[in-house]
Amino acid sequence: MPDDFKNRVRVRLYQMFLELGRCPNMAEIAGALQCGVSEVAAAFHELAAAHMIVLQEGNGEVLMANPLSAVPTPFVVETPADAGFRSWFGNCIWDALGVIAMLQRDGRVLTSCGCCGESMTVRVRKGEATANPPGVVHFAIPAKRWWDDIVFN
Amino acid sequence: MLIFRSEEHIEKWCKAWRLPRGADLSVEQAWKLADSWYRDRLSPDWRRRTVDEAHELFRSLGLTSEFWRLA
Repeated sequence: MPDDFKNRVRVRLYQMFLELGRCPNMAEIAGALQCGVSEVAAAFHELAAAHMIVLQEGNGEVLMANPLSAVPTPFVVETPADAGFRSWFGNCIWDALGVIAMLQRDGRVLTSCGCCGESMTVRVRKGEATANPPGVVHFAIPAKRWWDDIVFN
Repeated sequence: MLIFRSEEHIEKWCKAWRLPRGADLSVEQAWKLADSWYRDRLSPDWRRRTVDEAHELFRSLGLTSEFWRLA
């Protein structure tokens, strides 16, 4: 498969994810690119093999288009919009902050302490991040093992 | 990667999951890592970093321990 087509699928996936506020499925991307669903499916598999996205087991749809999560997580990302907020889910605290970075705007992550579940909010404003209440981020898995179990990680 | 109220809460979580303590980052450090890692993800020209490029990014943020070695 040409890298150019694979990259068009990748870029359209992210564009639609942000526009819709949810992950598009293969048929929606195929419609947007005016190509076949099987071509999008093949591109998804190649992108996943290259660790650019993560697919759901069974149906081959996207689970993670890092930093975005296709399924609800305890990391809700919100950015200001004309009417309230736009929101998406991040895969982890790093990815949730990554959504704000990717959008290059102010935003906040609504989350909770991984231990006790207390509500926590991390705000990014003018390129600076603060947590309320204060917190510490923990990476449990060493970098060389991140892709051994990306869902747990 | 999770956020915790305190280092004590990290310790409790590690014990509950029977995992060794990993790496702690301040919220500001985590933000800088996220910003460096994901800022260009929407660009059509984006490509995965090489291992050397990722190590250089980690190094620029002071993340130089064995924990941050990808290979």
